[in-house]
Amino acid sequence: MDKGYIENGFIVDLSNARKTSEIIYELSRILDIPEAQNKQVCLKLGNVALSETELTSIKALVESMESEIEFISTTSPETIDSAKKLDIEISELENVVEAPDFEMEPNVSPEVETALDKIFGDNDFDEEEPEVKEMEEIYAEIEEDDDEETLEMKKEAEKLPTLYIKKTIRSGQSITSDGNLVIIGDVNPGAEVAAKGDITIWGILGGIAHAGKEGNTQARIRALKMNAIQLRIADVFARRPDGVNTPFIQKTNEFEPEEAKIYKKNIIINKLLEN
Amino acid sequence: MSGRVIVITSGKGGVGKTTASANIGTALAKAGNKVVLIDTDLGLRNLDLLLGLENRIVYTIVDVVEERCKLKQALVKDKKNPNLCLLAAAQTRDKSAVTEEQLKDICEKLQKDYDFILVDCPAGIEQGFQNAIAGATEAIVVTTPEMSAVRDADRIIGLLEAKEEMESYRLLLNRVRPNLIKSKDMMSVEDVVEILSADLIGIIPEDTGIITSTNKGEPIVNDEKSLAGRAYMNVARRIMGEEVDFMNLEEETSVVAKMKKFFKGLMGKEK
Repeated sequence: MDKGYIENGFIVDLSNARKTSEIIYELSRILDIPEAQNKQVCLKLGNVALSETELTSIKALVESMESEIEFISTTSPETIDSAKKLDIEISELENVVEAPDFEMEPNVSPEVETALDKIFGDNDFDEEEPEVKEMEEIYAEIEEDDDEETLEMKKEAEKLPTLYIKKTIRSGQSITSDGNLVIIGDVNPGAEVAAKGDITIWGILGGIAHAGKEGNTQARIRALKMNAIQLRIADVFARRPDGVNTPFIQKTNEFEPEEAKIYKKNIIINKLLEN
Repeated sequence: MSGRVIVITSGKGGVGKTTASANIGTALAKAGNKVVLIDTDLGLRNLDLLLGLENRIVYTIVDVVEERCKLKQALVKDKKNPNLCLLAAAQTRDKSAVTEEQLKDICEKLQKDYDFILVDCPAGIEQGFQNAIAGATEAIVVTTPEMSAVRDADRIIGLLEAKEEMESYRLLLNRVRPNLIKSKDMMSVEDVVEILSADLIGIIPEDTGIITSTNKGEPIVNDEKSLAGRAYMNVARRIMGEEVDFMNLEEETSVVAKMKKFFKGLMGKEK
């Protein structure tokens, strides 16, 4: 070290890294190259604060690739403390030769980053909740401007006979009703239910539901829990947005009764219970 | 333009027909080909899930056959790749809803506009299988290095050979585990090829990433770092007529595998 260079080794400049996961990811990528094995490695760690455990992990990673940490350089006091506890040499050595800048961001795939963040915890990883638009205003907007035709349609469901089914509708099964449809049970993904009038599901709706299949735009779909893949009312169609990862098990004890209906040629879903 | 109709079949269930269909289709489309995937597993459809297109299906192949919609309307475009589309199976019907002639007819119509028509075949050798192979002139037989799967593949190859229109068939060896082959606990690639005396089109290593990709509805070929993804990409290139060497699976250890090893070591130390 005093010689100003290391024999049989190289310096890894990670001073651009902003968090532990990036350091681990980049390091594992670099050490993966066969030329990087069996070497003395010097790490420039920038100002990322590493705990003793994290530094142990990094050390173990380097050792798992048959190399050794010669020394590290860091500007973070916490990392210095951790390194002292682990007997890792610290150096303020600067690169005489300018290390080429490698860009950190585009290389880390989001999956790896998330996985690593989960392991090491993370300060600047904040999972943004998808913005839920305030629906109340829209509800308030929905005026009851019923002309005769819509009034007729609204009343239609009440006049129709109702098919009452007390079982779980599984994938591949399809239930069609010439009137309304009431299902006491779940409608699993892959199942289809359709009715001329309203559909009410006393359970979890996970499949496809089509209310007002003969054109009644005032038909409604209600479920204790709305996880539908697709909703159709009359000839209006809505699908579950992409990227919504519903959990593997949809069963739950927390129910939030919801109702789907047409509003301005789109299907909207509103909660039936307001807390 | 006359596209190639390739059926992906296996006989035995669970060897990866649907995974192979989704990945080869995506890979071919990524290479710039126009591709249609047809799911013929009526009543037990899965291909839409693997592609993450479940929520977009309005019309299925049965709707096309029963003339409730036009063929074009039933083609679901992929989220990422505009060259790729899916003709989904009906979930609420069974295999008898479509006949061999109807499927053949659909394939012929699609051939005009697409480079590749990949038909995902159901397991078994009954009507569903007969339907699936009806329009195809090429086949990819998926098998795993297990006796039961190889036996079934042999049966399938026999049936394919008996079909006049079938011009060629090639073998896709799935879920290969090099370390098990090394320790002689698994049939080697050579063994399978010898038993079946068929040409190989690809060797796909066992990859846990497949499970995640299936659950996410995102074919693994989109992940260029994954070993299985690269293997599928190579399969697509071979289908297009390129000469691609088979990967040496033993030497390939991905970054991910190394990191796993390292985390395992770490856990051990903490105890």
